[in-house]
Amino acid sequence: MTATLDAVSKTFGRTAALHPTTLRLDAGVIGLLGPNGAGKTTLLRILSSALAPSTGTVAVAGHEVTGSQAERTAARRRIGYLPQEVTFPRGMTSFGFLDYIAVLKEWGDTEQRHAEVRRVLALVGLADRATVKVRALSGGQRRRLAIAQALLGDPALLILDEPTTGLDPEQRASLRGLLSGRPGTVLISTHQTEDVSALCDRVVVLDGGRVRFDGSVPELLASAAGRVHQGATANPGAVQTWKTGTGLIRSVGGRPGPGASAVEPTVEDAYLLLRSATAEGAAA
Amino acid sequence: MSWHVDEPTWRRYADGRLDPVAEAAVEQHVTSCPQCRGAARALVRDVESLWRAVHAEITRPRRPWPYRILARLGVPETDLVVVGAARDLLLSWSVAVGAAVLCAVVTAMAPVHLPGGPPALFLVLAPLVPMLAVVATYDATDPFREVTGTTPFSKLRLALLRTVAALTAAVPLTVAVALVVPALHGYFAIWLLPGLALTVATLILLTWLTARIASAVVGAGWLVAAAAAAGTGGIGAVATAAGQAGFALAVAVLGLVLVHLTNSRHARRVAR
Repeated sequence: MTATLDAVSKTFGRTAALHPTTLRLDAGVIGLLGPNGAGKTTLLRILSSALAPSTGTVAVAGHEVTGSQAERTAARRRIGYLPQEVTFPRGMTSFGFLDYIAVLKEWGDTEQRHAEVRRVLALVGLADRATVKVRALSGGQRRRLAIAQALLGDPALLILDEPTTGLDPEQRASLRGLLSGRPGTVLISTHQTEDVSALCDRVVVLDGGRVRFDGSVPELLASAAGRVHQGATANPGAVQTWKTGTGLIRSVGGRPGPGASAVEPTVEDAYLLLRSATAEGAAA
Repeated sequence: MSWHVDEPTWRRYADGRLDPVAEAAVEQHVTSCPQCRGAARALVRDVESLWRAVHAEITRPRRPWPYRILARLGVPETDLVVVGAARDLLLSWSVAVGAAVLCAVVTAMAPVHLPGGPPALFLVLAPLVPMLAVVATYDATDPFREVTGTTPFSKLRLALLRTVAALTAAVPLTVAVALVVPALHGYFAIWLLPGLALTVATLILLTWLTARIASAVVGAGWLVAAAAAAGTGGIGAVATAAGQAGFALAVAVLGLVLVHLTNSRHARRVAR
């Protein structure tokens, strides 16, 4: 088991950002889905040790993030963390930035450290941009540079907060290839449901600071089976409807209209239905 | 063509071991001999590794000359990377230096200039203020704080190295301010040189001690020194030019000790 969160919660003043949550994260790619303000970033920050929880304990590779300083340091040696936003000093080069972060990750030997920096630069496709100042990089390249720092040292637990923001489709596909082939645990927070369906072994849906779903992608899809239709008219009471490129109307949820036929749901459909059920539960 | 470059000669040429005349002869010959050019290419079988070595050399960060001198003196390369990055974070560094200088100027203008020298409590706390200002500045403005905060690197060491980066710029600036504005009391430097000395002392102690114990030892040492100065009525001497020169000397000596210790530790590690 790579990481565990046991009854972890976080409150800011009177606002509960994360209600008591228990999760066990094993090897594989885990997608974290949820609307803005669902508590995804709070959960990732707690797991990465950037933020202390209000209650509960967190452990990474057997070391308590919420324990003593020595335990926290031991846990940090096994974590790679990409925050939602990384701002770069514009005068630093790509290599200089990664070299600095590698030092902070305790790569003491210069030759080995430089080799590791070159390795992660190559992994994210920036090998030829090593000596370029960050200010000269495009937005997508900066995002890839931020991802590269998380990959330094091949951490057992890789925590990525919306890694595909700013990446073009080719770069997103390349990132999927990179993440799917690595050992250990990868926890990705994303709004891109297609990334989840293409990459993740497991998906966790957070809403209102609570876990609403925790299972495999096929299980999430099964929860929406028979509830997504396509036809000439929209389903009454549908959660979402839109006209597709074929001219037919796709309805997520609701009662099927005349002539509507059930279609294979996507992760996005299942997510929308889950969100709708959560909202109805909250209203009731 | 009566001769060709043999393999041993190529090896010596590549290693730079040929004398200048032989080297020129090889170069002149190769320009007109396709057979020898082919032989040279054949000798470099692993072109990829050669290219990697060239690429590594090109991408290796070139540090400014003061850092290269410090590296030659034995200052740990990782510390130089952190200090260099502290300065590369230009906004944080500028604000930190400005805050340290401001502390010094405010001190000079504050109504603490008693005839017998500064109060003991003031002296005890003064060296801490620049460091706290630097730490607070980086905490507030470091664009990587979310990333750096989750790395295993000692936060105390990071704070100390950033303090060194800021104070080594703030000290000459305050001296310049004093030269331009002689009315500023000599106390202004009390904030910085002792702060720098204690910072370097803590860095030295981190060689053997944990962060908490190193900080406690340095803090206790400074308390004893301040109490002793207060007891002997020598507190005013701290603000004099001689007192400040003493601190400058202490910084230099502590710096040399730090370099010596680091070199010894490195030598022991290599020997193992």
